[in-house]
Amino acid sequence: MREVAIIANVKIAVIDEDVVVRDFVVSTLMYSVNRNILAFDNGFDAWIHFEESGFPDVVVADVNLQEIDGLTLTSRIKKIQPKTIVALFSDAPQNEIAAREHGADVFMAKPFGVNDLFNLIQTFVVEPEPPGDDAADA
Amino acid sequence: MLRFGTKSEFMREMELDDIFLSRLQLLVIMAKAYLNQYPLGEYRQRSILENAALVQIDAAGLAEEASARETDEPDSGSLDYDPVFYQRIKLLTVMAEAFAKGHALEDHKQEALAHNLESICEAITFRKKLSEMQFLKVA
Repeated sequence: MREVAIIANVKIAVIDEDVVVRDFVVSTLMYSVNRNILAFDNGFDAWIHFEESGFPDVVVADVNLQEIDGLTLTSRIKKIQPKTIVALFSDAPQNEIAAREHGADVFMAKPFGVNDLFNLIQTFVVEPEPPGDDAADA
Repeated sequence: MLRFGTKSEFMREMELDDIFLSRLQLLVIMAKAYLNQYPLGEYRQRSILENAALVQIDAAGLAEEASARETDEPDSGSLDYDPVFYQRIKLLTVMAEAFAKGHALEDHKQEALAHNLESICEAITFRKKLSEMQFLKVA
């Protein structure tokens, strides 16, 4: 069986003004990938950091953020760095359509849990198997 | 666009009880990964220590509420587990702190940890097996 690999030096940012939810997401993702996780409490600070230090591989953000909301942030990120995966979370069903329209890759409906964050990592951070591995494993 | 999380009709703000149960679930996974000798690392150790500390604080508060409910105070509407459940959680946090700090747990302590996890897991449900979380095998 092929060894599992994750994106080398994967860079993940979490943005949420609710410190309890933000810290939980950071803890789970930090444990998942064994890397430092960038954390911000508003969209503006995150955006400035991305512009100055480079865009992360994955951004996990609340839709409701001060100064630059999650939807606007998603549009901006996708315009400059389309490869960055953006996962938006919200407690409002109507934000799911808005998230899709703004180019989000994932919508996470609150309340979400550990398994949902693990699914995010499994889907976007674990390196895909190279073509032909199925035949080798068979 | 992928969709994770709860169904639309059940969407709501995340409450402290949601976070406590999610953090507890994460702590159980951390302990199971340790027992399965999955690799640790600087940030995983940090995450375990932070998570264990927060779960311990919340569990202490909830244990007091559970004890109060056992006497004659009215139900506060929070999580409804018995006080022993919270004692088991406290034990789990202490053990998690120990292995995160690099203190090797002897065989009998690992057995105690496994037994404690089993008891805690009886009260909370999991949808995903440890073996499905392939990324945990990467240091």
